[in-house]
Amino acid sequence: MQSEVFAHVNPSPDAGTGQGSLAGKRVGVQSLFSVRGWPCTGGSKALDGFQPLEDATVVRLLKEAGAVFMGNTHVSELGLGIAEDTSAQAVAEGQVDVALMLDTLGEARTAAARAGLYGFKPGWGRISRFGLMGLAPSMECIALLAAAPEDLSRVYAAIAHVDERDPSMVEAQSPSIPEGGAPPRKVRRAGFNPELVARLTPGEQKAFSRAMLQLEQAGLTPVEVSLPDWDLFAPTHQVITAVEASSSCGKYDGVRFGHRASGAKNWNEMYLQTRKEAFGLLLKTFLFQGAYFQFENYQAFEDACRVRGRLIRMSEQLFADLEVLALPTLQDGRDATAVRDIASLYQAFTLTLTANVTGQPAVTIPGCLRTNGHQDIGLQLMGPQGSETALLALAQQISVQTEEVA
Amino acid sequence: MPDINRSSCGDLRSTHVGREVRLAGWVDALRDHGDVQFIHLRDRSGVVQVVFSPEVSPAGACELSRSLKNEFCVEIRGTVATRAQGTENPHIETGTIELMARELTILSRAATLPFPVSEKAMVADGGHKRAETVAEDLRLQYRYLDLRRPAMQDNLGRRYRIIKTARDYLDEQGFIEVETPMLTKSTPEGARDYLVPSRHFPRKFYALPQSPQLFKQLLMVAGFERYFQVVRCFRDEDLRPNRQPEFTQLDLEASFLDETSIRDLTEEMVWRMFRVGGIELPRPFPLMTYQTAMDGYGTDRPDLRFGLQCIEATDIFQHTGYSIFKQILQRGGSIKGINVRGQSEQLSKNVLQNEYAKEIVPSFGAKGMTWMRVMDGDLDSNIVQFFSDQEKQAIIERFDARGGDVLLLIADPSYDTVVSALGQLRLHLGHRLGLISPASFCPVWVTDFPLFTATEEGVTSSHHPFTAPDRHDFDPTDDQGLLRLRSRAYDLVVNGEELGGGSIRIHDKELQLKVFRALGLADDDIDNKFGFFLQALDYGAPPHGGLALGLDRVVAMVLGTTSIREVTAFPKNRSAFCPLTQAPADVSQEQLRELDLLGMAAAGTVPGMEEDQKPIDTLSWVARIGLRDEERPVVNEAVEEAVQLAGLMQRAAGNEEPVFTPVTLNNRMRPPEPARICPFAENGEMYRNAPSVKGDFFKVAGVLDQ
Repeated sequence: MQSEVFAHVNPSPDAGTGQGSLAGKRVGVQSLFSVRGWPCTGGSKALDGFQPLEDATVVRLLKEAGAVFMGNTHVSELGLGIAEDTSAQAVAEGQVDVALMLDTLGEARTAAARAGLYGFKPGWGRISRFGLMGLAPSMECIALLAAAPEDLSRVYAAIAHVDERDPSMVEAQSPSIPEGGAPPRKVRRAGFNPELVARLTPGEQKAFSRAMLQLEQAGLTPVEVSLPDWDLFAPTHQVITAVEASSSCGKYDGVRFGHRASGAKNWNEMYLQTRKEAFGLLLKTFLFQGAYFQFENYQAFEDACRVRGRLIRMSEQLFADLEVLALPTLQDGRDATAVRDIASLYQAFTLTLTANVTGQPAVTIPGCLRTNGHQDIGLQLMGPQGSETALLALAQQISVQTEEVA
Repeated sequence: MPDINRSSCGDLRSTHVGREVRLAGWVDALRDHGDVQFIHLRDRSGVVQVVFSPEVSPAGACELSRSLKNEFCVEIRGTVATRAQGTENPHIETGTIELMARELTILSRAATLPFPVSEKAMVADGGHKRAETVAEDLRLQYRYLDLRRPAMQDNLGRRYRIIKTARDYLDEQGFIEVETPMLTKSTPEGARDYLVPSRHFPRKFYALPQSPQLFKQLLMVAGFERYFQVVRCFRDEDLRPNRQPEFTQLDLEASFLDETSIRDLTEEMVWRMFRVGGIELPRPFPLMTYQTAMDGYGTDRPDLRFGLQCIEATDIFQHTGYSIFKQILQRGGSIKGINVRGQSEQLSKNVLQNEYAKEIVPSFGAKGMTWMRVMDGDLDSNIVQFFSDQEKQAIIERFDARGGDVLLLIADPSYDTVVSALGQLRLHLGHRLGLISPASFCPVWVTDFPLFTATEEGVTSSHHPFTAPDRHDFDPTDDQGLLRLRSRAYDLVVNGEELGGGSIRIHDKELQLKVFRALGLADDDIDNKFGFFLQALDYGAPPHGGLALGLDRVVAMVLGTTSIREVTAFPKNRSAFCPLTQAPADVSQEQLRELDLLGMAAAGTVPGMEEDQKPIDTLSWVARIGLRDEERPVVNEAVEEAVQLAGLMQRAAGNEEPVFTPVTLNNRMRPPEPARICPFAENGEMYRNAPSVKGDFFKVAGVLDQ
């Protein structure tokens, strides 16, 4: 059964035994997550009629922790963008307490900010992606949306476990960063970039100053930071993600699952026709870009990976001195749900995709960057590798402050 | 001249014990027992074990033997000795003896092998090694190593014997072998020609022969009376798994012989060729008319190794009340069937209805299949309730139905569909029910083919336009009359495979012209293409006929190989590509210029050299993603954007190492565990999501064109 919010509604959500850390928590996952026996069509004809044979690791962990599965939400084709996504709606309407989303460009943070919710993207490789219909293995991770920040912490704690079925997981913390985040520094700093702030409307700039004040109250000294090469994040993300998507989508050939074009005379024609019919235009144009880098200009992909290395090192240096980097989540009034082509897709996610390129954790907090008569553009805090717990604690602290102010 | 100084590895026996011999060959396998080294030395005669032991071999030889690797080419001197009791090797002919080495010379070293060559185990319980699991393209790329394998050596050796047998027999019969040109003019065999550009006649092309048809007929006009040739032929046809762009025919032609004599002569020759492989073909080869073959077996290549003949049932249902049959018969259709004798246990209702009626038979082109199981003198089926008692009784009698039989009927408005589907169903059942004995061989001559086949525009030759018709008094403009003509052609079919075919030819110019006109060729077209040949018929052409045998197929059948590539030294792969030489390949601009082909391209007259494909079409092909017309402008723009991005990345990138994941991952090894079958494959769940499944397989379109 379908609904406006759910691609599949769980007909009998089991309240469970009432045990486990998430007992009674109502969760929803995108229809990109494998749930045994549920349709998992990922918003794509390529997965037409597909029903996973086993649960994704993250689904298993949630079930074991006692979470109640309400259904899987509608999703843009294979999770690219949020034009069709209903995860945020599910949380905002109170149908679930926590929604799980794939975050490749910043989909979860963007959807959360638009709906006035908390959105949390952990660092890369913290949550198993086994059983996910993913698109860009080196960019994406599972992210969480909730109305209450403590829900984010509880769910994250239940699902951030090393899974031997996902070979891309970060097993040990890098030696300089112990579990639980960076060691307390004498002076804790929150960075902000004046050039990014200057791009905001006067009202938003005022709101941003207030947000920095809140961070100061939370014990973080605001410092100006410069972000050289900031403009390279989006094109680097685009080249790498296009290639990874082109490669990941190789499996959608209509042989073992999904849509198959009828009447093909031979193997090649079967592939061509099947994949012609399987992919929507937005994803297809992206796959063609990927195919161009993959088959005709592999050098461009390698170059992008070199630039990515430089951006990651730059970020590491930056965060050696910072607790968080503060920036908005939404880009000056771009409507991420109205995206119809790849260029506007990337424009809509400019401020969030940075954390996907570097693989850092980031959280978006509602209510801080709201100006009268305008949309909340969501305060985004990026933290260094391994700072998930610290970031979530900070988000909770700020939420309390915001409530007090309100 | 035997090499008096060198012995053959495979010939050594216990009678040679004590003799000093010199061997040369390749290291087939090695076994290191510390002080003692064992090797298998292989030459084309076979394998023998050589021992390097400090007790008998000089220290230098022992030392050197340690550096040996597989497929080193070596020379060894030593003494033949009896093996110690219990160390004999039953896998090799020389298993009771071994050579105690005294001298070792490495003639040539071998690099690391792309796949194992050795087929013989070194120890008694080692079993037989097989190389079939090696990817075929890898085998073809290193064909010279693949051919070192005894199995391949044996295949080519026996191929030679089979061809020599045919040559010797034809020589006995007074045939002489005459070579005909490879650079020739296109002849109408029906396939595409391989073309060879001429430098002396710019922009003109030779064609490689699809068969020496016209030349052999000209040799008959020239009075040779009996000609044959082992000849390479070339056809640029659509790819099929067991087809090669070049193949070898045994081509023969004789004057003053009728079809019976030519068939008898061929029968004797083919019988001798099969005997080389130890196969005794039953003689005489029976004759079967084309019509009988189509009626009874649904094909002009009947496999006579098993029964299941097709039985006519149209008349039984002339007045039927069963609406499906009634409608088909009203449209002039036919109903035919097969009695699968005594197989009702193997063919359950479920198999018949869900596999055969719903899946298998529709894939043969028929819309459906009707099945009946015979139980206690009555018919059991989901449709038998629609048949009258009279009809049921007639079915039982016509099909000689007895308890345990399964009757399968196919009805269709088109007779061709009925027989073709039934013929394929018959083969499917023959294989599935194990009715075909792999050791039996059933040759048959198929005769009385229709001379012409109907096409949309008129008629075309069933064989080729030089085949003689059974009558001369036909009207070349009456298509219906033409389709009733029979030809004097004959095909040799063994086990359902066409091994060769031939015919009595037209030797009368007027008749030949009439056939050309029946085919719709205009007079100047005839003159242009066949003028030289028609002119030859003006000069006392004798009556003649002949036959061509597909040698690759014959050899493959005699040797029981899976493919003709196993009996061809340097075949192309299934894509008509040669992984060894990488042919076909680019040629230099200079070569093209000399041939004046560059100019032709500019003039737009060379096919395949039209304007470059658009980039998105190339991408669409390599990524196997088809494009709808309305998508093309957007995708085009996106690819142009990608080109811009590539430029941006190139300018931005420095010399740093590329990073593929945001966090460097440790190499992780999966803990060792025994190989196991995925439980979802075992319980069949894996197939649940598949769009099309056949048994335990995902069903897909054929790799090659149907």
